[in-house]
Parts: sequence; C-alpha cells; structure tokens
Amino acid sequence: MASALRSAILRHIRVPVTHSLALNGSRLASARSMSSHGDDHLDKQTVIDRVLDVVKSFPKVDPSKVTPDVHFQKDLGLDSLDNVEIVMALEEEFKLEIPDKEADKIDSCHLAIEYIHNHPMAS
Amino acid sequence: MSVTTASYVARRAAQKERVCTLYRRALKDTLNWAVHRHLFYSDADALREKFEANKHVEDIELIDRMIAAGEATYNKWRHPDPYIVPWAPGGSKFCRNPTPPPGIEIIHNYGMEERE
Repeated sequence: MASALRSAILRHIRVPVTHSLALNGSRLASARSMSSHGDDHLDKQTVIDRVLDVVKSFPKVDPSKVTPDVHFQKDLGLDSLDNVEIVMALEEEFKLEIPDKEADKIDSCHLAIEYIHNHPMAS
Repeated sequence: MSVTTASYVARRAAQKERVCTLYRRALKDTLNWAVHRHLFYSDADALREKFEANKHVEDIELIDRMIAAGEATYNKWRHPDPYIVPWAPGGSKFCRNPTPPPGIEIIHNYGMEERE
C-alpha cells in the first residue's frame, strides 16, 4: 500500500537537472506555489500599519500617543491584563496562534511588529 | 532578610505570570463559548471585572489560593471543542499541503501533454 502510494506520487514528480532549471527559471518563478499557505509574506510597512491600527482602536489607548516604538505598560498606561487583551486582538488580526509563554513577552509595539513580521503564518 | 525579600519578589512575579496566562486562556475560552461576537463583549467585561475585583489583594498565600481556584474554575468550564487557528496543531489545515522541497517541479498536466 505504502509503496504503491509512493510510486504513484513519484511518477508525478520530476527533479529537473540544473541546466533545465536555468532554462525554465522565469517560468518556475511565476509558477503557482503548491503550498496553500506560507507564501504570502507581509511586508514590514503593512505589519506596522495594521499593528498600530489595532493598538489605536483599543478603548483605553490615546491614539495620538501610539508610535511603532511605544511600550504598552510604560508609555500607554495600560496594565498587564490590557496587555493580554491587545496581544489577543493582534492574534485575531493576523490569524495567529501565539503560545502563552511567547505572548507574555510581547509587551511593546516594537516587539509585536518584530514577532508578527518574522512569523511565517501571519496573514 | 534580603533572601526573603528576593524570594517574595520572585514569587510575586511568578504569580503575576500565572494570572496573565490564566486571564489569556479564560478570555480565549470566553470567545469560544460566545455564539456571537456581541455576546463575547459583555462576557469579556464580566471576566475582567472578576480579575479586577481582587486587584489589590496583598496576602501572598491568599493570592495562591485564589489563582488555584481560578484555574480550577477555568478547567471546569473549558470548551470541549475550542477554535484553533487552521494551521496550528489540531487545526483543520494542520500539516496539509506542505511546501515542496526546493528544486522539485510538479508537472500539473502529466499525461495530457499531447493535447496541448
């Protein structure tokens, strides 16, 4: 069963030699990616804009104070539970699932932007 | 004296982390239980009020007991089928369509070349 499946899959896959790779380079680059996710990386400016939008729309935050380097608790006067709420809002905005330990560490806009920008599944 | 102070500070920090994690999980669970978004807001406010009510408790043993009680309540009312982001472990798209390794080309029209 496994070997039949394997040969069935292998029959549809071809590893091109480097020569033909170079020839087909442009076609390969424009080919549709086979993966259904992970290939639509956000650029930094989009991430910054969307993170700032989320933070600004938080009810207890003064939108004029929000900058990309702002610290949630020191600069915006929020407490740790507000911090949790902001991280959860960011998770929903970018369709992420951030582990609890890592979510604890995100306490500023700068860190949030870095984390989301480097996350392969952010969208 | 300084040792007890240090241990006290460490214990308070651990408690703070536990409360944050508990609040985070409980908030997510609130969203799981809420059928509509507008129901979630009032539930989330109620949850926040429960946490705010004990904001100024200073007795370290009492805090420990309260956290334990909170975690027990959370475990009791945990949602049986929570929302999981599709790509995360347990999600509906977990491990589906992984990216093929570099250098591998997949022929989409295999067997139908002569028709073109």
